[in-house]
Amino acid sequence: MSTTTVMKPSRRKGPISFLTILGWFTAILFFLPIAWIISTALKPKNTVLDIPPKFVFMPTFQNLVDAVSFSNTLQYFVHSAIYSFTSVFLAIFVAFLASYSFSRFKPAGTDFLMFLLLSTRFVPAAAFVIPFFQLFNVLKLKDSFLGLIIFYTMFSIPFSVWILKGFMDGVSTKFDETGMVYGASRWHIMFKVVLPQVRSGLVAAFVFNIIFVWNEFLFNFQLGGLKTYGIPVGLFTSITKGGQVDWSFVASIGTLYVMPLALVIFFFQKYLLVGLTFGTVRGEV
Amino acid sequence: MSEKVEKFESKIKSTSTARANKRMSWLLLAPVLIFFAMMNILPTIWMLGLSFYNYTLTSANGATYAGLSNYFDFVKNEQLSQSVSRTFLFLIIAIICQTFLGILIGVLFWKNDKMPGKRLALTLLFTPMVVTPIATALFWKLILDPTFGVMNYFLTSLGLSKVDFLTSSSLAFPTLIVVDTWMWTPFMALMTLAALGSVPKAELEAASVDKLPIYRQVTTVIWPHAKFILMLGILLRSIDAFKTMDLTYIMTNGGPGDRTELIALSLYRFAFKSFKLGYASAVSVFLLFIAIALTAIYLHVLNARKKAEAQA
Repeated sequence: MSTTTVMKPSRRKGPISFLTILGWFTAILFFLPIAWIISTALKPKNTVLDIPPKFVFMPTFQNLVDAVSFSNTLQYFVHSAIYSFTSVFLAIFVAFLASYSFSRFKPAGTDFLMFLLLSTRFVPAAAFVIPFFQLFNVLKLKDSFLGLIIFYTMFSIPFSVWILKGFMDGVSTKFDETGMVYGASRWHIMFKVVLPQVRSGLVAAFVFNIIFVWNEFLFNFQLGGLKTYGIPVGLFTSITKGGQVDWSFVASIGTLYVMPLALVIFFFQKYLLVGLTFGTVRGEV
Repeated sequence: MSEKVEKFESKIKSTSTARANKRMSWLLLAPVLIFFAMMNILPTIWMLGLSFYNYTLTSANGATYAGLSNYFDFVKNEQLSQSVSRTFLFLIIAIICQTFLGILIGVLFWKNDKMPGKRLALTLLFTPMVVTPIATALFWKLILDPTFGVMNYFLTSLGLSKVDFLTSSSLAFPTLIVVDTWMWTPFMALMTLAALGSVPKAELEAASVDKLPIYRQVTTVIWPHAKFILMLGILLRSIDAFKTMDLTYIMTNGGPGDRTELIALSLYRFAFKSFKLGYASAVSVFLLFIAIALTAIYLHVLNARKKAEAQA
């Protein structure tokens, strides 16, 4: 998985090829809507709705500063970060144990359980909102951090198990056997021998679960409350701030939301494939 | 004699390690199983049970047993069956567009492997698909706004008249497909890149040494390897398209009328606007079955790929 860093083929000198221009053109075309939002966020507030739109202007960071200092914007970001990191960490820990078990001991019903786990991710979220809504009411978990962290842990488990099992199946059982012969405990083998070899899987599981939790809207909206809303709900409510839609504000929150994602795509690009296919397709792009 | 004893002892040892392994395997699985039972099986049973009851949150009467009537209503309800067929129409058109464009873009980047700044270009290309649909919907609402949207500015400067994309009854649905295509074409491009990457380099080189014409290269060398990942991509897209809710919820709220109301949004409305929980649960059960069917198909393709690879 690390061939790109070893030897970079020297770039062809000479005129830029037609394919390069076409490739860059396509990439920029797809990014334009997002670029437009970022530019809207950087425009002076009174020129945002000008027709004809301003394409050249002095960028200002005032809108971003305003957006962050407005009521609970900052809290939305903090909440989303809390859910992402705590629940994904928990989920990956338990998923690591489970996928070791699935991969090495193959207990009865492994295939069926894997099937069930995957299917939970294929159901529209709206289908599960009702039972969760009632369950959370009964358990008094509505609008609580504990409830949402438990929910997001559950939400992250299926994907983590799939991705980690895929990577673990690729690690030869010879390592385990050798370890056993030398009298190492299962725990030692699991964490000191196998874990380092599935590091890519762990990174992919971390990065993509964090994105999924960071992006989750419906359950946060229905199971949470003013105290516990995350950033997607923050975006959702940003259009209803005040009477008229304050597009500078919406665009600013949108920009703050989207920038970390773009950075993640840049730095973790090689995990993108594995991350978006539940670990079922591996390889580098 | 002593040999026998040794054999016996080793037998005891192996059964005891087998037992220890079994205990270990369930111990390791326990946390995930507990989570799964609590947060998946329990809600599913609840949902199944609720679907046999008449239960409206806002009415004073509690839940009354209704047998299969929720399911019959569901079949009879014209609005709902329309929303199911609309979802399929949306899914089919959107996925055809995305696959077609995705393959083109994928091939473009594959052909130009040493493109300068490839990583940055791919970052720009791939960002739309990880943006939460809520944000996507908001962004496009601003861009497509009839009075101050930049899209209408371009239309008028081309001498065309202004268009209200999201509230026009003829344009809302196509607009939804365009936005979805913007979002997910990069995903199909990514899958195309992966699919092409799964073709062994040696076979490709052999084909070019043999000077196979390009269509023969595609049919005999590339396709047999690439078809699996491409198929998985299309399936994942189908599953996601089927789940589409947030996007329509913000962008059009299913409107105008019910022109853009897809099944997941209908379900949401039954549950949280009219509070018909029993009825909504029946719809959920239906969606659950579709999800299980799609999972089975997905795993089938995955296994077919494994088999093909094992043979090669």
